[in-house]
Amino acid sequence: MSNYALEVHSLTKKIGKKTIVDGVSFTIEKGEIFGLLGPNGAGKTTIIRMVVSLINRTAGEVIINGHNLDESFTEAMSEIGAIVENPEFYKYMSGYKNLLHYSNMAIQKIPAERIQQVTELVALEQAINQKVKTYSLGMRQRLGVAQALLHNPSILILDEPTNGLDPQGIREFRDYLRQLTEQGVSVLVSSHLLSEMQLMCDRFAIIEQGKLIHISTMNESIGEQEQAEREVTFETSNAENALALFKEAKFVNEIKAIKGNFITIKMDKESIAKANRLLVENEINVYEISSVKATLEDRFLELTNKEKVGQTL
Amino acid sequence: MMALIRNEWMKTFAKKSSWVYLAAIILAILIGGIFYQKMGPDDNQNWQAESQAELASLNTQLNESSEMDRRWLESRIEQLEYYLEENINPNAKNNWDFMNEVVIGVSALVTLFVVIVCSGNVAAEFSDGTIKQLLIRPHQRWKILLSKYISVVMYSFLLVSVLIAAGYLIGLIMFGSGDFNTKVFEMGIDGQKVSEAGPQFFQKIIFYLPSLLMIMTISFMLSTLFKSQALAVGIGIFVLFFSSTLGGIIVMLADRFAWAKFLIFPHLDLTVYALQDEILGNITLPLSLAILGVYYAAFMIITFGFFEKRDISI
Ligand SMILES: Nc1ncnc2c1ncn2[C@@H]1O[C@H](COP(=O)(O)OP(=O)(O)OP(=O)(O)O)[C@@H](O)[C@H]1O
Ligand SMILES: [Mg+2]
Repeated sequence: MSNYALEVHSLTKKIGKKTIVDGVSFTIEKGEIFGLLGPNGAGKTTIIRMVVSLINRTAGEVIINGHNLDESFTEAMSEIGAIVENPEFYKYMSGYKNLLHYSNMAIQKIPAERIQQVTELVALEQAINQKVKTYSLGMRQRLGVAQALLHNPSILILDEPTNGLDPQGIREFRDYLRQLTEQGVSVLVSSHLLSEMQLMCDRFAIIEQGKLIHISTMNESIGEQEQAEREVTFETSNAENALALFKEAKFVNEIKAIKGNFITIKMDKESIAKANRLLVENEINVYEISSVKATLEDRFLELTNKEKVGQTL
Repeated sequence: MMALIRNEWMKTFAKKSSWVYLAAIILAILIGGIFYQKMGPDDNQNWQAESQAELASLNTQLNESSEMDRRWLESRIEQLEYYLEENINPNAKNNWDFMNEVVIGVSALVTLFVVIVCSGNVAAEFSDGTIKQLLIRPHQRWKILLSKYISVVMYSFLLVSVLIAAGYLIGLIMFGSGDFNTKVFEMGIDGQKVSEAGPQFFQKIIFYLPSLLMIMTISFMLSTLFKSQALAVGIGIFVLFFSSTLGGIIVMLADRFAWAKFLIFPHLDLTVYALQDEILGNITLPLSLAILGVYYAAFMIITFGFFEKRDISI
């Protein structure tokens, strides 16, 4: 058995002359949630389609739990549970029949209770015997999750899985993914909802224009920013005096905005403490210091913009 | 594989339309039965006298009619004489007459439904987007496609069975049980021949099945290639209704070019062999079947080869 749940080696897809995915490689460890991030049209769905063998690869290898997709297709595919873009169902059948249909397609026999179990898991007990055409978008998405989990796959491949889920549903889904990873299940998830990914993933890759431009763990990525400058807003009792003090201080690089008693300045982490001390020592009351927290979004925009600048040069 | 076929079967019968087609066939036979009963001469006891009278009037007409009419009159006279000789009431109708004349006609409706179902089967998976959920399972693509093909073949044969069973029952109720070997006249290109209603019916059905399988395979192929039911149904129906017309053109072509005999159209309708032994001059049934076999293999290879390779990006 391999150590990795999924290995993707120099995956490439060309359609006509256009290269949609260009030499993408990454590995996912067992029990890890791995995110694919990227703007619209970056090639996330195309990568996922190649991994689940919906489209041909121009080049590259996909190894699922040690099974090469080309050599042992059946073994490799039975490890996968997937949602590719919007999950579609047979609208003229009930949710239950749809699940039964997919459970019949599993290699290892799925006990009847399992359908019941996943139905409860995605909270669809009420609607499971209704025809799918009566389902709302979120209900279909839930059924999609149920369908992917049905055969206890060792890797879940989810393309925008939270699309259409309500906040409650998203939260339950996230919690459930965590629970699954504790049992050793791995997850490959794509999204452009950055805040979502931040909460969900252990590690992520940023894809842009078909290329993998960055890969790191979530903590690393946000951690790097600890040292970077950020915008900090001070609410004080005397903005004028505070401003005068800041202007003299060496550690303040740039004053961004002044609004009533709020002053926004750009500084690094250590400087915040220095600024605070300075104000207090000068008998100016500080009511609030808030910094815009470094988010994945900043990181993402920073990384993708850098790439763009790089290309225009 | 069995599980895949069971799945397809489940989906087929979850669709309302599958039931509608079954019901429509029964309804069509029923309507056909009503017309068959209303139309045509009465089943009276005086048939011998009436036949004699008709024979006499036909014989007088024969002398003053044109060349065209004469052939028809002559064959009618021959029929009447035969009936009188054998002492068969020509106006009597029983369930086997009904099967041979009406039920066999409803088979055109069966073909139409088969075209619709076969084209719909694959095309609907594409248009609903369900194909992607189907192909991310641990089954080779050709197996999934084959299970679909087998299920439409099974459904088509169910339609044919319903046609025969409903035809028999409705015939039995409306016209009573008749002699399986009731004598009937059939018109062929070589003139008329006497045959027996029951065997004739089953012979027509047996000749009908290969053509049905071909039409089925063509529709299935088109919907796999084009992902579009409308297009597949359109072309399927075109082939269905124009194959006889095209067949006629090909008969003319075949006089001049030998290769025209190997086009698929003249062989699609094998029921002509129930009435005559050779078509296009020298083509016999085994040769027609061999030609169809080659086309069949080609269509299957194209369908499966293409499906195995195609990118699913819905
Ligand atoms: N069949 C195709 N033919 C040509 N180009 C295609 C085809 N499929 C996808 N593309 C192109 O490939 C690129 C990547 O598409 P893809 O669907 O993978 O993007 P994505 O990262 O999933 O985007 P999104 O966030 O919008 O879902 C797009 O520019 C798209 O136009
Ligand atoms: Mg996408």
